[in-house]
Order: sequence, then structure tokens, then C-alpha cells
Amino acid sequence: MIKKVFYLAITSIFFSSCVAVKEYEKININDPDMALSQKKLNRFETSYQVYREGASGANGGKSGGGCGCN
Amino acid sequence: MVENQVEVVAVIKIYQMKIVIILICLFCFGTTFSQKDSTNVFKKKVLETAEINFLTSYYGQNGKNASVTGGIGTEKLSDFTSTIVVSIPINADDVLTIDAGISAYTSASSSNGNPFDISGASRNGDDDDDDDDKTYKKAAQVIGSPWIASSGASKSDVWKTVTADYSHSSKSRNTILSVDVSIANEYDYNSFGFGGGFIQQFNEKNSTVSLSGKVYLDTWNPIYPTEIKSFVEENGNLNQGFFNGVTILDQLGNQSSRWKPAKGFELIDIKTRNSYSVSFSFSQILTKNAQISIFTDIVKQQGWLANPLQRVYFGDISNYFIGNASSISKYTSTNNTDVFQLADDIERLPTNRTKIPIGVSLNYYINEIFTVRTYYRYYFDDWGIQSNTASIEIPIKILETFTFYPSFRYYDQTAADYFAPYEKHLSTEKYYTSDYDLSKFKSMQYGFGITYTDIFSKSHVFNFGLNTIDFKYTNYKRDSGFNAGYVAVGLKFLMD
Repeated sequence: MIKKVFYLAITSIFFSSCVAVKEYEKININDPDMALSQKKLNRFETSYQVYREGASGANGGKSGGGCGCN
Repeated sequence: MVENQVEVVAVIKIYQMKIVIILICLFCFGTTFSQKDSTNVFKKKVLETAEINFLTSYYGQNGKNASVTGGIGTEKLSDFTSTIVVSIPINADDVLTIDAGISAYTSASSSNGNPFDISGASRNGDDDDDDDDKTYKKAAQVIGSPWIASSGASKSDVWKTVTADYSHSSKSRNTILSVDVSIANEYDYNSFGFGGGFIQQFNEKNSTVSLSGKVYLDTWNPIYPTEIKSFVEENGNLNQGFFNGVTILDQLGNQSSRWKPAKGFELIDIKTRNSYSVSFSFSQILTKNAQISIFTDIVKQQGWLANPLQRVYFGDISNYFIGNASSISKYTSTNNTDVFQLADDIERLPTNRTKIPIGVSLNYYINEIFTVRTYYRYYFDDWGIQSNTASIEIPIKILETFTFYPSFRYYDQTAADYFAPYEKHLSTEKYYTSDYDLSKFKSMQYGFGITYTDIFSKSHVFNFGLNTIDFKYTNYKRDSGFNAGYVAVGLKFLMD
């Protein structure tokens, strides 16, 4: 587990050293389909997955609490 | 029961007061920032105009491993959910979002908290699962089966929730602070939550770090399986209350008076379930066409983490039934329509759980038509569950205004240390559950979505223009035979 976290940290540092993309070059990045957050409509799907699966979280949705279902 | 209701009402009132106080604080917070910003001549707003989202979904599922009936029985359930999300720009920097939802479900599994009612009328006079009414039907009418829905009160429930979120963006738009508060209520559960978040962009807005925390202070209003609650209320007397005149059968179909919960049942004394979570994410634009995000949560839950309505049957003690003796031999078959096995206990799980999911998301813009969205998550907890989740979605711009989204999701998990199927637990164990959501399984989900976007919002309802229509359908299958499907529709309006 510690190894995995270490690799993730190294990867993060690697990514942050990439050449910065200028604002005027972000037309593709700013496309709505490129958003890293989920669409509002996907909240239902995330909730149902939390109800019927043992794992949850790390997806912008519920990770526990708020209802008697998880 | 009345005391419980009074208790619940009191809790709700306290929560409501807390929410009012916090909302007042939120508005004061907003007003403060708004006064500071009054010196600015012009600044682009974080949110140009008020937004309203109407979201609704219908979900259906079926399976053969219901947890309320100890790991066998119908899991048929349908749920209709409707939500409205209103985002209001308070000033150039601040946004208030109110999110209110209602979810109504009917569940064959939950209805079998009181299964002895498939003839249509409840044996309990008030038609609930508490057996607090002393008017009983004739014993001959007590019929139950884990494969048939009962008409008890727990066959349906309504979950209601309201969340208020207030966010403030810095003048540079590189920093966002937010606070939120929420309340939720259902028949046997109340929740009060609050949290806060911090987002920082840097490296010419190519890198983003976010940190947030959330606390839920939840309370059970526990509902128990009918036979266990009655056993406690009548001090173990099988000739009184619910059991008066009802014949209890042993495995061979002979009359018996020896049934009792395996461990001398007592009602649960811990009714709280608190959840504390901290979330961290790091996002990075990699190229003009690619960006990645890595995120993790650390979640700690404390309190009564089991569901008091869910039965467990032990393999090392005798079985007892109510109903048709000739059907006992085919109890686990869907052909069993008229006999029900009395519970050995309710599920018992540790009062602590720590969950750690770690996820990564990578999106790539291929061209004006195709985009690829990918996601992977590794999860582990201290109950012994490890899980992998991988998904891919490929938005395809069919027309300028229409996008088609085919998607696929794979999921697997190992079993929790405390899981075993029907009749496989031993009464000597400390913790046990037959909830198949905690079993080992794999699942696949296929789906698609369609989005219509009108950037000019030409269609109007009052002062609001229709900006986006979203539709989504998914089909979900587990290797255990469980399957589910759902459809969802969303409408987004922008104020003129």
C-alpha cells in the first residue's frame, strides 16, 4: 500500500512539471466532455452503486453516511 | 413506538434549528464578501446567472439473495428519485446552491421485515413492523415466504434530503472555499451533515489541488424483524402477542416451542452512526488534449454499522418455521410460497470501519467528434473488502447540439471478513452478516447517454431558458444473478 501511495506521489510530481498549457490553448480541455467532475445526472448512478456494492468513494460522490444504506 | 416517534421528532427539530443557524451564518459569510467586493467596478461573475437543474431517475433491481431474509429471497426493488438543484450567484464571487431531493422506493426484501402478511392484511393492527399493536389476525392467516413481498409498512419508504452549499472564489479565481450543510430523513434513519472544502489552482491554472472534509451525524430509529421484536416484547413467551395461537414448526414439520433468538436477543443500545471523511485530489492538465486527476478519501465510520432489519441464520443450531410444514423441504426454492424461517439473530458488525478508496481519472480529447473518459479506483477497508473499479465513456458528438455517450463499467470486490451465505455462519462468531453487498462478486454495467445542448437557451419557461437535456440508461449485472437497470433524465435551465 505504501508503495502505491509513493508511486502516486511521484506520478503527481511528474505531471506537475509538465509544460503549462496557456489559457488560449485550452479550447479542447475546456470542452464540457473533458470535465474531470461527473455530470449532475450521474449522481443517481453513483448512489445506486454505493447502495449495492461494498466499495465507495473517490468519485466525487458519497463515501458513507447520509442514509441507512451504506 | 410513541416514545421513539417523539424522540425522532425532537431530533429532527434540533437538526432543523442547526440548519437555520448555519444558513444564517452562510448568508452573513456571503454578505461580508459581497461588501468587500462593492469597490470593484467590474468583475466577471463566477456564475453569470441562476441555474436550475431538474433531475429524475427510475431504478429497478431483482435478485435472489435478500439480506432482510438472511441471504435468500427476492431482492425486487424499485425506486423513483426526483431532485432539484438551484444555484444562485450571490455576488461576483459567491454562489449559493440548494439541493433538495426525494426518493421513494418499494422493496420486496424490506417488506419481509414482517413477512407474515402475504395474504394482504397485516397481522399487526397498525400495519407496521413493530408489533406494538395488540390486535392480531387469526393465526391461520399468518403466512410468509422470503420469495414473496409482504404488505407490511417497510415495503416502502421515502428518503428526503436538503443540502445547502456556499462557495466563495478569490478575485484571481485561483482559490475556492466552500461550506455545506445537509439533512436527510427516512422511516428508520435520520442524518445531519456538514462539511467544507478548499480548492487551489496554480501553474497557470494547469494544476489543481483540493481538500475537503465531511461529517455525518446519523441516528437509527431501528426496525427489527417481527418475530425477534415480538419475542423481546413478550419476554420470550411464545403463547402471547404475535405468537398467540401460531404454530411454530421444527425442521421436520413437527410443532415445537423451542425457538428463540440464538443469543438471548436484546434491542440495540447504540443508535448512532457517525461518518467522518477527508478527501484529497490533484488534477493536472497534461497536454492541450489530455488531463488527469488523482483522488483519495479516508472515511471513518463509527456506531451501529449493521442494519437491524437484516436476519442471520446459523448453521449449527436448529431451524424453526411458521407456515406450511410440507414446504419446509423446499424452503430455499422460489417455489416456496407459504413457509418462513424464524431468525436466529440480526446481523452484527463491528462498530468501526475505515475505508480508503484511491482513484485516477484520465480524459483525452481525440478530435471534434470523439473524447475518451477513463476511470480506475482501488478500494480497501478494515472489514476485509478490496475492490477494483474501471470504467470508460466515449462521448461522440453526433451533431452540434447532440452528444451520444456509450459507457462500460467493470467492478469486483472480495468478501468482507464477516460475510457468509444463508445457514453458513456459526453461532459462536462475534460478527456476521449475509448481506450479499458484502460478498465476493464481479459486476458489469453497460449504458449510454444522450445530451442535447442549446447554448442560446431558446426554449423558455417563464424567465428560464432551457440549456441542456440529459438522458441516461444503464444495465447492471452481477455474476451472482443480481441485475438492475435505471433511466435518468435531467433538464438544465438558465435564468435570462
